[in-house]
Amino acid sequence: MRVLIVGAGEVGFHLAQRLSQENQDVVLIESDPDRAAFAQQQLDILTVVGNGASMSVLEEAGVRDARVIMAVTSRDEVNLIACLTAKKLGIEYTVARISNPEYYDRSSVLSREQMGIDLMVNPERECAWETYQLLQSAAATDVAHFAEGRLQLIGLKVLEGAPVAGRTLAELGVQLKDRHYLTAAIVREGVTEVPGPNSTIEVGDQVYMIAPTDEVQDIPLMAGHPRFALRRVMIAGGSAEGLYLAQVLEQHGIDCTILDRDRRRCVEMAEQLPKSLVLHADATDLELLEMEGVSGIDGYVAATGNDETNLLSSLLAKSIGARKVVTLIDKFEYLSLVPRVGIDASVSPRISTVNAILRYVRRGRVITVASLASIDAEAIEFKVEDDDFIVGRPLREVGFPEGGVIGAILRGDEIIIPRGDDMIMPGDDVIAFALPEAIGAVEKLFS
Amino acid sequence: MQLRKVANVVGSLQVFVALFMVTAAGVSALYGEAAVGGILTAAGITFVAGAGVYLFTTFEGDVTTRESFAIVTLAWATTAVAGALPYLLTGSLDSPVAAVFEAMSGFTTTGATVFTDIEALPYGILFWRSLTHWLGGMGIIVLVIAVLPYLGVGGMQLFQAEVPGLTPERLRPRITQTAKLLWLVYVGLTAAQTLLYVGGGMTWFDAVNHSFATLATGGFSTKNASLAAFESPYIHWVTIGFMYLAGVNFALHFRAAMGRPLYWGDQEWRFFTFVLLAAAVVMAGLNLAAGTHDALEPAVRDALFQSVSIITTTGFISADYELWVPGAQMTLFALFFVGGMTGSTGGGIKAARVLLLLKHTLNEIRKNLHPKAVLVARIGSKPVKEDVLAHLIGFVVLYLLLCLAGALAMGFMGMDPLTAIGASIATVGNVGPGFGNVGATEHYGWMSDSALAVLSFLMLVGRLEIYTVLVLFHRETWKARRSYH
Repeated sequence: MRVLIVGAGEVGFHLAQRLSQENQDVVLIESDPDRAAFAQQQLDILTVVGNGASMSVLEEAGVRDARVIMAVTSRDEVNLIACLTAKKLGIEYTVARISNPEYYDRSSVLSREQMGIDLMVNPERECAWETYQLLQSAAATDVAHFAEGRLQLIGLKVLEGAPVAGRTLAELGVQLKDRHYLTAAIVREGVTEVPGPNSTIEVGDQVYMIAPTDEVQDIPLMAGHPRFALRRVMIAGGSAEGLYLAQVLEQHGIDCTILDRDRRRCVEMAEQLPKSLVLHADATDLELLEMEGVSGIDGYVAATGNDETNLLSSLLAKSIGARKVVTLIDKFEYLSLVPRVGIDASVSPRISTVNAILRYVRRGRVITVASLASIDAEAIEFKVEDDDFIVGRPLREVGFPEGGVIGAILRGDEIIIPRGDDMIMPGDDVIAFALPEAIGAVEKLFS
Repeated sequence: MQLRKVANVVGSLQVFVALFMVTAAGVSALYGEAAVGGILTAAGITFVAGAGVYLFTTFEGDVTTRESFAIVTLAWATTAVAGALPYLLTGSLDSPVAAVFEAMSGFTTTGATVFTDIEALPYGILFWRSLTHWLGGMGIIVLVIAVLPYLGVGGMQLFQAEVPGLTPERLRPRITQTAKLLWLVYVGLTAAQTLLYVGGGMTWFDAVNHSFATLATGGFSTKNASLAAFESPYIHWVTIGFMYLAGVNFALHFRAAMGRPLYWGDQEWRFFTFVLLAAAVVMAGLNLAAGTHDALEPAVRDALFQSVSIITTTGFISADYELWVPGAQMTLFALFFVGGMTGSTGGGIKAARVLLLLKHTLNEIRKNLHPKAVLVARIGSKPVKEDVLAHLIGFVVLYLLLCLAGALAMGFMGMDPLTAIGASIATVGNVGPGFGNVGATEHYGWMSDSALAVLSFLMLVGRLEIYTVLVLFHRETWKARRSYH
């Protein structure tokens, strides 16, 4: 399958990288020759230099053979026109990165269909939303959501004294049979395992569990984490992600303080955030953080737009006793640092955008794919059709491949966390969890 | 600054003033009065002078910012002088200063009068007094803009110099269209009130005059006892209602007439309404408790009447508030410093400014807790920029200083402190009645010419919201330096 990507910025480059690793034919269109050359050197892709909104450039990039176009420059209008043009040239699927909420909004007079856009992604908003999820489930190190947010996958550490520690999954299944959850993966000493009934959960494991969103709050308790209510949050840095997050927090009635070192940005934010407190201060000003009550604060998010500052600011906040600290980090090299230095969780604006895009467009009937930053396994959402191999048999008889598991079945409005005697019906959406080596085998079941 | 441009606009304006004098003469003729000659003479003089200046000057190009300040201030001052002529030429008043005071009080919709016996005046003169209110209420420049397109782009400058407000609200893309719509609302409300008055048994003459004075938030009555002369509760309630409407932003009325009532969504409206109702409740309660009133309805009606009258800066009186208990009097005193809404015909500091100032003050208090906080004051959900806030604080300080200076001047002229303060705040705020010897049942007729001259100036400065007039006293205005805009 050929994929066109317009814009070789952070998002575009990373998308190209991910897709080319998955053996897709990627053509990257970029107006800056230096950036295009850089991408060409680094990745196994084809680059075309030019304006992605221009028809001739799109033709040159082979728009007629491509199935998907992803317009992810930082300019909304370029992305919109690129998608519109590509659609007219007969491309099947269009994705546009859009930041201006007016284009995004459902009340807009130009509907998505009219604009020829199948998916709009707002990177800053995706990132803010993911950060919010992380803050809400204090114990979680990772959160991914499926089925319009009705289903969540959360990753967390099992603590000393956890009710689930030292038990096999079969035992737990008997004991907690009223609870809807499924253990999708266990990471022990850096090795990811998709567990079977005889696997045990031990203290210190990193476990990944799937549950309906309204029941997800019980999972931290099962893993030995104390109960937690998010009341007060400080956001260090007025980046676009920070501002969006503040708006999300305001909507949920959470007390929010946001700071930035640029006074004009502060005024701008103060005008947009009627309920938050905006401070003109530096994210690494320890005295100020203490004065504004960061010790004992429920959540602290470093979102300055600079990785190093974010890390330092998070460390300071953690050292004076912020309860849950989330850092926004773009550089991959730093991601592995986060758990080691004691920061609770990290969000990569790049990864969250790329995930949001890939979730919708990858591989034929796959609807959603979530790659988690810290482990190898992937969560994949399939749409089930009549003649699929898996249809109509109890799951215990299917013989699911090693390293793969079915996490949930979505049937209409119903969410089923499956057990051995559940069956998959045509029209269901199925969320499977698999290690990379098992993905192929899992996909076969759905063909 | 091109003075011939200024003179040209001011001159053309006087032609209009003369035309309106002719209607007053018409009323006088209708009642067969001797005053008709005097009023017609005044109209003739004004017309010849205005037309002469207009013909011998030219208006080219646009109005600069400085010129707009000069035009508006001079237009109002000249109009007050012209408006004084009917009083002098009919022999109603002898002192030219007193006559200018009366005219200025009319055009600025203050409603302070020098007449001791109003009911003895010819109908033509009474009508002229009310007409000055009505013309001044919406703004004489706004009237000219509505009918004279030749001011062009300069019209907006003039509009803003005359109706400063906080957020110049444009109902239509063109300023002439906006001015016309505002006049439409104004005329409509005036007609409605007149009909309701006549329905309540008022004579047509009284009804028209009081409607003019109400919608302009003026306060001139045709009776010595003001609205107290009408003993009908119905008349009082109608007056309360229309004084209130005149104190509300006309743009809101216009939108409501277009089928989109937005009153509740407007924070200034909520504040204005709340303050006035709260004051009325307090005063009614105090008066009932003290036995000033013994029945609920008259207590509520009188409290509401006086509080609406003062807060909208109308200045009608239905009861002598100086007989009330001190608590009620001081509540009323506080209302002198609020004023109507922006975009209304009311004067004073204006509700939006008071509200913003309170919010800004709260922010400053909060800043002590969070020294690095960046706090934005907002009206409703609209954030207010820092420079607007600075302008506003300057305005309020100047306003209070002006009140103080006026009171000082009155004091030096030998008035007692209560009267001095009352006269000063009642004229700067364009209210009319004050306290002491200019209280509810008193008048300004006993004052010396010099006191009346000072108060006339205060009325003008208050009506044009201070900056427009005071700018002319800044020497840079008169230097041909740098900016022509």
